[in-house]
Amino acid sequence: MSALAPSLRLPVVGLARLTALRARPSTVLALGFVGLVVVAAVAPGVLTDRSPTAIDFPSALAAPSWSHPFGTDEVGRDLLTRVIHGARLSLGIGLGATALAMSIAIVLGFAAALAGGIVDTLITRVLEVAFAFPALLLALLLIAIFGPSATTQVIAVGIGSAPGYARMVRGQVLNVRQAGYIEAAAALGHGRWTVIRRHLFPNAMRPLVAVVTLGVGQSIVWASSLAFLGLGIAPPNPEWGALLDAGRLYITTSWWLEILPGLVIVVFAVSVTTLGRTLQRRLEGAGR
Amino acid sequence: MSSPLQRRPHLRRRFRFAATAAGLALAAQALAACGSTEVDGAGDKVDGGVITYAHVQEPPCIFGGWIQQAYISRQVLDGLVTQDEDGSVKPWLATEWEISGDGLTYTFTLKDGVEFTDGTPLDAEAVAYNFEQFENTDLNGTAKVSIDPYYKKARAIDATHVEISLNKPYPQFLTLITQGYFGIQSPTALKTRTKEENCEQPIGSGAFTVEEWKKGEEVIFKKNPDYTSWPSTAKHEGPAYVDELHWKFVADGVSRYASLTTGQTDVIYEVPTVNWKEAEQRFDTTIRYITPGKPVSFFINTQQGVFTDKLVRQAFAHGADRKGAVETGFHGVIPYEGNPSVSQSTPDYNDKAADAYPFDQDRANELLDEAGWTERNDDGVRTKDGKTLSAKLVYGAGFIFTSEGATILQALQEQWKEIGFDVKLIPATMAELWGGKFSDPSTYDAMPSYWTSPSPAILWIVWRPSTEALPNFNNRSLYDNEELSKVIQAANSEQDPAKATALYEQAQQIIQDDAAGIGLYTQNTTMAVADNLKDVWVEKSQGEPIFSDAYFVE
Repeated sequence: MSALAPSLRLPVVGLARLTALRARPSTVLALGFVGLVVVAAVAPGVLTDRSPTAIDFPSALAAPSWSHPFGTDEVGRDLLTRVIHGARLSLGIGLGATALAMSIAIVLGFAAALAGGIVDTLITRVLEVAFAFPALLLALLLIAIFGPSATTQVIAVGIGSAPGYARMVRGQVLNVRQAGYIEAAAALGHGRWTVIRRHLFPNAMRPLVAVVTLGVGQSIVWASSLAFLGLGIAPPNPEWGALLDAGRLYITTSWWLEILPGLVIVVFAVSVTTLGRTLQRRLEGAGR
Repeated sequence: MSSPLQRRPHLRRRFRFAATAAGLALAAQALAACGSTEVDGAGDKVDGGVITYAHVQEPPCIFGGWIQQAYISRQVLDGLVTQDEDGSVKPWLATEWEISGDGLTYTFTLKDGVEFTDGTPLDAEAVAYNFEQFENTDLNGTAKVSIDPYYKKARAIDATHVEISLNKPYPQFLTLITQGYFGIQSPTALKTRTKEENCEQPIGSGAFTVEEWKKGEEVIFKKNPDYTSWPSTAKHEGPAYVDELHWKFVADGVSRYASLTTGQTDVIYEVPTVNWKEAEQRFDTTIRYITPGKPVSFFINTQQGVFTDKLVRQAFAHGADRKGAVETGFHGVIPYEGNPSVSQSTPDYNDKAADAYPFDQDRANELLDEAGWTERNDDGVRTKDGKTLSAKLVYGAGFIFTSEGATILQALQEQWKEIGFDVKLIPATMAELWGGKFSDPSTYDAMPSYWTSPSPAILWIVWRPSTEALPNFNNRSLYDNEELSKVIQAANSEQDPAKATALYEQAQQIIQDDAAGIGLYTQNTTMAVADNLKDVWVEKSQGEPIFSDAYFVE
């Protein structure tokens, strides 16, 4: 347990700052947990000195205890260590997929909104079709083509969630475009690209920051689902979804293998969502 | 006449729930675990009913050269002979047989009046036709390699006598043809129907016929009411007791076990080992059968890569606690098998060979040092002349290795890392593995797999050296050893059983001494049966599940 101690200071720093900002307790807790996961992702060694793949046959399938807070798996690997070491990949997949989705969304959303006419109609139709296509099916298709890997997971989840973002981006751009300051900037003789870069883009994107934050949590859940279906990264990599997949067989006999990594995913997704909501409220406030 | 479904309301319920998601099944299982009530096994026999059986792997055809195909084809096709519990060969379609003094001619007398389910008579012509197909066509690849190159020809002497002649004596011949691969099909069906039709609905003389194959879901078998050709080892004479057999494919172990505990299925194959102890306590009938033949052992690429050096192969064998990993990973249910070439339930098993290469990392390190892999890179992996000591381990995920088996590989990988051996685990799908993605020697260094067989002659199928004229694609170690080849051939044709045993044991020793393969665990058939279903059994040669004697009790 002592290995956990240093990290606990981290949320304390955030806490002080947030108290000053009169943050809600839920936001503080959420920030603390996300902070912990970020530490696990960046420097897992800070939280544990164990190896995520170290086996220990005699202590296989040990229930949670002081020496193994999350218990051990069927070959005696420490589950908490595996969850900590899995954070990097899970978080990476979540961030990567969201980044990819947003990049696609920005390109399509801006193109549709700014070009208008046939281009807009075309892109909007394509997005509608993509929307109608179940994201999981699309992911399965991509995995069938490229084979299961972290990269495929990022691409699959990224492409799967892009249409939703693209629609939002398009809406935002159309909205902001009507604003007086855009008209003013154009009237002042600024070039088209300057207007887009300096006025349109920042103002259209600001409300989406919160959505992106929510998207990271969502992407991790999606990626975990794929891994749970055996379509993610290959074991013994302790990516969270892969842990869920591996623990499935033991769900009735060794509950911790399924429940604890599952809880971590849920709590992380909830935390990110909470932060996203907070951010959204603050940004909306700032807008007003 | 009232249908069995009307008489047994819980059966009807079963169908309604057949499509229940795994999650529901699990929840139900958790509930059932809290308040299960044992049903007394000794009830009254019920005629009819439907057996719902959950298997793991869905084969590409209902018959063929994969053991999983032998399991399913056994429901439809009858064989010439069968194997009894003690390993002796017993009558089936052939009521008796004579072997000539030189061991070259087998004359079988066939049961009279047997017909295929399409009405074609099952006579000597039909049997001879099937054997000619086994040898000369791709009807059944495993049947072919089992009798190659000993088989010469088959001919019908009269309607009930068929003569099979061999090129060389092959006393294992009778034992080999007890396998489900040698199921006899209607020549009319083979000649007049398309390959696809025969694949999906083979016509035999068996206790069941294929009614429908819902791909990805189940094969529905109907009872053959005119069944006359049960094997002499059958538990009853006459057609099957039940009306239908629903052979479902439930790859996921959790769902499969839950389907039995919640009553959605009556029998399951491959009980997850983690549930085995509970299953033994919970159900009257559990079956655990160690399959003879090649166990789940590593083929080691002896032609390319790091394993061309015997010292490295031996270090690989010593370097990981295979026994410990198997016992832990399979919760003591599936036995470790140190002998890479034949498993402990195979006749003429060499148990001394099985003890070679115990877990000894000091010895492994010595061997690697001796082999020149003395430097280490930043990751602690051994290097030699700038090359890292790295091996690609390709395994069939989900069909050869269950997730439990895959975990064992991960544990071994971790231990190999400790001796500076970097082993990359590459899971392969069935399509990849059998579609040729890993057929090139450069694509793998180690490849674990099994090949069941009731006979030590499996050594010939697997380890026969490749020649220009006759390449042996089953020898995935690419191990061409002329001495080994001679020993196995001598064993195969040796008519004195004691001498044959000595030769087969010698062959196993050669393979083990050279570490041309590395043992892991035995292939098994495990089954658990609901308490209201009786007389489900597995036959001896490879653990094929038999449902023709099974009946429900009330």
